[in-house]
Amino acid sequence: MIIITENPIDVDKILEDVKDSAAGAISIFIGTVRNHNSSRSVSEILYEAYNKMAEDVMTKIEIEALEKWNLRRSITIHRIGKLKVGETSVVVAVSSAHRKEAFDACNYVIDNIKNRVPIWKKEISGTEQKWVDGISLVR
Amino acid sequence: MRSNDEYPREIIVKLFAVSKDIVGKREITLMLPNEITLGMLRSRILEIYPSLVSLNNQFVLAVNHKTVTEDTMINHSDEIALLPPVSGG
Repeated sequence: MIIITENPIDVDKILEDVKDSAAGAISIFIGTVRNHNSSRSVSEILYEAYNKMAEDVMTKIEIEALEKWNLRRSITIHRIGKLKVGETSVVVAVSSAHRKEAFDACNYVIDNIKNRVPIWKKEISGTEQKWVDGISLVR
Repeated sequence: MRSNDEYPREIIVKLFAVSKDIVGKREITLMLPNEITLGMLRSRILEIYPSLVSLNNQFVLAVNHKTVTEDTMINHSDEIALLPPVSGG
């Protein structure tokens, strides 16, 4: 399941929803807003997405993971809009029969989200704002 | 006589993140012949909006929510989006 939302992410609900009676493992990655980047302090981050394409690419990544690791369930939620330090920006949760599949799949999904999905972050620090240097999409 | 395809038509390009801030608009409208490649559109965008040259060509033009090769023919009904390097997560 893929969701892009402006609402706060409910991690407890995701953990409940990713549970499966045939799964012996759940792996979850929670991305949160950090108060610094390199030497700059950060007070807020603005996330922007090309929603339709971001959902399409995230769905593709999820299908790749489901096929590669035989997962039971998969949930990925990315928040957009303005987030404060400490808030959750992204959650990837997967369940599988054994732990290695869950760890590897979770890692694969978050790595590919960072490399392939049209979402951008702008760091805000007081009156200064800067789009983060990103990763070029493959043409 | 010219065929319909030779008449200029509007192509709208959606802008995101740093490209939106550079141009100061959410989208730009270009008048172009109906039959052009994505690569030709890229050159035309940089001609009309030279400030985008600062992106050093580090952007992708997506067509209908997909990345495609630059020899792809596009037409005015396609949804084109200019996507700078991504930084989600």
